[in-house]
Amino acid sequence: MGQILQFGINGLMSGAIYALIAVGIVSVFKATKVVNFAHGYLIMFGAYFYFTFAVLLPGMSWAPAWYVSWEPAWLVEMKEGLPMFSPLGAVLDWLTNLPRVIIGLIGALAANAVVGLIIERVLMRPLMGQSVFAMIMVTVGLISVMSGGAQLIWTADANYVPSLAPNTPIRFTLFDTQIFLFGTDLVNAVIAVLLFGAIVAMVQFTKGGVAIRATAEDQSTAYSMGISVPRVFARAWVLASLTGAIAGAILATRNGVSPSLGLFGFSVLAIVLMGGLDSYVGVFIAALVVGVLEAMTQWKFGGDWAGIVPYVAVLLVILVRPHGLFGQKEVERI
Amino acid sequence: MINGNLKASYADDERVLDNSYKKAFVYGMMVVLAGFAAFANDYLILVACQMGIMLIAVVGLNVVIGYTGLMSLGHAAFIAVGAYGVTILHNLGAGTVPDAVMPFIAVPVAVAISALIGIVVGLPSLRVKGLYLAVATLAANFIVIFVIEQDLFAPWTGGMTGIETPAPNLAGWVLDDKREMFVLIAVFAFATILTVQNLFRTRVGRAFIAIRDRDYSAEILGISLLRFKLTSFAISAAFCGLAGALLAYFYASILPEQFELALSLQLVAALIVGGMGRTMGPVFGVIVIVMVPEVIKVVFGAVSGGDPSVAQLRAPLQEMAFGFLIIFFLMFEPLGIVHITDRILRALNRWPFARG
Repeated sequence: MGQILQFGINGLMSGAIYALIAVGIVSVFKATKVVNFAHGYLIMFGAYFYFTFAVLLPGMSWAPAWYVSWEPAWLVEMKEGLPMFSPLGAVLDWLTNLPRVIIGLIGALAANAVVGLIIERVLMRPLMGQSVFAMIMVTVGLISVMSGGAQLIWTADANYVPSLAPNTPIRFTLFDTQIFLFGTDLVNAVIAVLLFGAIVAMVQFTKGGVAIRATAEDQSTAYSMGISVPRVFARAWVLASLTGAIAGAILATRNGVSPSLGLFGFSVLAIVLMGGLDSYVGVFIAALVVGVLEAMTQWKFGGDWAGIVPYVAVLLVILVRPHGLFGQKEVERI
Repeated sequence: MINGNLKASYADDERVLDNSYKKAFVYGMMVVLAGFAAFANDYLILVACQMGIMLIAVVGLNVVIGYTGLMSLGHAAFIAVGAYGVTILHNLGAGTVPDAVMPFIAVPVAVAISALIGIVVGLPSLRVKGLYLAVATLAANFIVIFVIEQDLFAPWTGGMTGIETPAPNLAGWVLDDKREMFVLIAVFAFATILTVQNLFRTRVGRAFIAIRDRDYSAEILGISLLRFKLTSFAISAAFCGLAGALLAYFYASILPEQFELALSLQLVAALIVGGMGRTMGPVFGVIVIVMVPEVIKVVFGAVSGGDPSVAQLRAPLQEMAFGFLIIFFLMFEPLGIVHITDRILRALNRWPFARG
């Protein structure tokens, strides 16, 4: 019983991050009808940008001291005499890294938004109005370009990047079982869920969101009603890159930075299809379910089996419900 | 459009090589390949062997993507099944079956297994189309590689570290030389192209094309989608299995990571670059896809002069080249190289009266 709860909570937390990645794929699909096969590589770029701004730049000789590690007098004073591995010590360690984390996140967001805009402007915009198949295949080609490009720009792999939140261990008892969590994982999951909720609310209630939904419904009608469809496309891609940057930073702190981060995109693509391409709710539920299933598989069969859980799950779901758990059935005109 | 190509009977019209130009081209290519096998140097033979193996796989992929209109991003899995199938059968049969007849059993069985797995992977194609199918096949690719890498099957597959593959012994003729392998690969590649070309003169082939053009109309015409979509997957998986079998014979050992997504993307890239749904498409596509890394290698060798810090940029650049090829052709020449050669041939044919 105790183990189930522990792994279930771990699963929910990684599921929340899957949901954050998935929201990028769903947003681009809703606006442009293009399924972005390269979203995982956009995330990988986010992770590398975070790594650049949080680790590489502070490592330069010209970096100011507060950027490398922020140590005001009161912080040093508080650190004195603390025992090893104390929760307060973890918080203080995080505080010294805080400038790096903040600049890293801002840098990753800005740089990734530029990457997203370039992709939209250079590759997607010229193909507008042509078959969606061509645009999807362009994103397939982007997989190779981005994965090769990242290896070209950032030659070395990195293992350590500063975490987004203090890494305090949290212990509490739930139904008579001891649960053990890391503070940073919890904060990551909360960030992911909040962002997911914010984006869904934005699409539902703001003017830009209504434009996205109108474009999703019917592009030419939306165009004739005065909605600038190219701008909606650009906005959707930027949204995907921004969530991708955050997700990339989170994944970088969990798994280290390497080109294999791009593979997350494929498992999340499987999750998205499982939930239904155009349904935020369905995708959220599917992400949590896959997260929990993965954690359970990891517990029962070992870590490497967890990797194929999303793929097996999506095959089973597609066979039974071709448009995903909550997806709308496409109505085709003959 | 070829002038003066009058057909007097249906039999003439339905020939695979239905005009003298095609005949001349095909027979000419046979002579060229025979000469190539005899006189080309070892490096050219090596590259040509890679092309031949990939060509068989891309022709198979063309059946599913180009002619039946079903998207697949997982065909590397079938190559893996073929390659591992042959190797495992050789290892199982060692001792009981004489080496000289082993390939005649192992290759057909491996191809049959690939076709069977193709049918299983093709099952989602009945429910879903386009993109969903692309993801389903992608998922299948990941699962197949995962199964091969499992410790559970490592005694047969070699697990993560790969496995040594046998050299084929065709009734006493041991093909332990690359040049001898080239003869085998070239014969199979040639036969594959002609077989597929022939397939599209038959009822089955026409059914595939009907499904590609409009699946609902095809169904109304009485074409069973269930039967023909699965047949299409089985045929294309079988050709990929054959390519895998030859790949296992060609290389000294195989690794699971050879058959990952990157290979599937290469196959799709070759098809897009060459031209989908055309006989010569895979040929042109494979030539480009195999030559580009070689050219990059040569250029890098000249530029870096053995400097390791520059040389390590080569692999990422080769990877990027595939992506750029896909994107470039989709944006500027979506019908592939075949479309370019079509225009050139048409211009030549009409010369000097009309151009373009």
